[in-house]
Amino acid sequence: MASTTQCIASLARLSLAPPARRTAVSTIPSFLLPGAISSSVRYAGGGGGGMRSKRVKKKKTHKTYRSPDLRPMEQYSLCDAMRYLRAFEVGNPPSSVKYDVAVKFKSGKNGPILRDRIRLPFEVKSDTRIAVICPEDHPMRTEALDLGAVAVGEESIFQSIRDGNFDFNKLICHVDSEPALKKANVARILGPRGLMPNKRFNTITYDVKKAMDDMVGATEFRERDRVVRVAIGQLGFTPKMLAENLKVLMEKLKQDADAIADTGHTKVLEEVVLGSTHGPGFSLDGKLNPTLDGVPIEHLQSPM
Amino acid sequence: MGPGALKLPPTVSRIHLEFAKRLEGGHMGPRKFMKENLPRLKFWNPAVPMIVNRTLDQEGPATLTLYFRADGTPNPRETPQPPSSTTGASKAPAPVAGEKAVTIDVKGVHSTEILSKFIQKTSAVQVEPTRTEMEEAEEIADLRRRGEIDRVENAKLLAEKRREKARLALAMSEAAAIKASAM
Repeated sequence: MASTTQCIASLARLSLAPPARRTAVSTIPSFLLPGAISSSVRYAGGGGGGMRSKRVKKKKTHKTYRSPDLRPMEQYSLCDAMRYLRAFEVGNPPSSVKYDVAVKFKSGKNGPILRDRIRLPFEVKSDTRIAVICPEDHPMRTEALDLGAVAVGEESIFQSIRDGNFDFNKLICHVDSEPALKKANVARILGPRGLMPNKRFNTITYDVKKAMDDMVGATEFRERDRVVRVAIGQLGFTPKMLAENLKVLMEKLKQDADAIADTGHTKVLEEVVLGSTHGPGFSLDGKLNPTLDGVPIEHLQSPM
Repeated sequence: MGPGALKLPPTVSRIHLEFAKRLEGGHMGPRKFMKENLPRLKFWNPAVPMIVNRTLDQEGPATLTLYFRADGTPNPRETPQPPSSTTGASKAPAPVAGEKAVTIDVKGVHSTEILSKFIQKTSAVQVEPTRTEMEEAEEIADLRRRGEIDRVENAKLLAEKRREKARLALAMSEAAAIKASAM
């Protein structure tokens, strides 16, 4: 690099001659100048031009996701991870904080993915309030109320929607009430909120009970880049509750993985990481009880 | 380890911290206390409820309330506590029977000052790092030292590289000038 610089510098010194002495400048062969300049340009490009090797190294592609060796990694029992996470979440309103879990599989990059819906024993999202539209004298009415619908009816619900004072965030319609719903002129209010019942989403249905069951507390999950991420609990959960939820989730995932195993794509569990809304992730070792110094499990059950 | 890693005596039943959402008006100290010291405190005392109430009233007070209970009285930590809030909804609860509340004014107080006041009032015990933790800390400190040396080395190399590049650019512009004048 230095030699080029010197070369150009010597050329530059030549150029210091006043423009009147054009002859002196023109003594430099014209082919030399552009040559010198272009070669220096190539040089600045970092071994560009003729110096670049023609063989471009082909990027290696992998058919499966690469898995690091987890043996030297630190892993935590559920209670220890919870203790850390509770410490990280101190001072945050518990309603806004959830435990979430990332389940990583050994898996190929192509092939089917895990995608399902699960009902956890301890509900994570507890603010589901369902209203059911069905004829006022329908036998479904009492059943829906028993199942925990906040409002059941036809004209009463339409009226509250038009008035704008409704406190449900899910709406199911019985097929018998579909014409009434069409006539009620409430789609303009419900549509933007995603509440308008629709046959496609099974929210206009004969089986109101099943639709409600599906809605209450069901969590959907899907695998992205071989990891399934699910909200698994509220911050106020005890270790036992969280463990129970986790167990049900893992069983479900195993079922789903077994179901697609016969297509030739296997999914083997690799790692389970527990995190929270503002906290870091902790790789779990599958144990429940605390291993750190004498903090018994009961201490993790108290209010934040 | 670190400031805030304290073991509270069993007489401390709960802690309440109240300050405004934004910083101005002396709410910086309590916020730093919450961000830096409270998580450590919670880690070492998972069973002690620690309620943080951030109010929307910037002019309002900033207080740290400590609740002490006499031995033998039922522990209020078993009962439901008001949740932490970001809208000022969880005022410091009144002490229950057999409980004594101590309020510290923390408005305009530095977080380290709050911590030392806290230690003084609760007579909390500092958690001593274990041998492995000391070793780990030593390793990290060593890494930082070496990093600092490398950083200086690298800065020198980078400066040299930049100087070289500037010299080359200068020479090139001069060469371009020659070319222009030659034509």
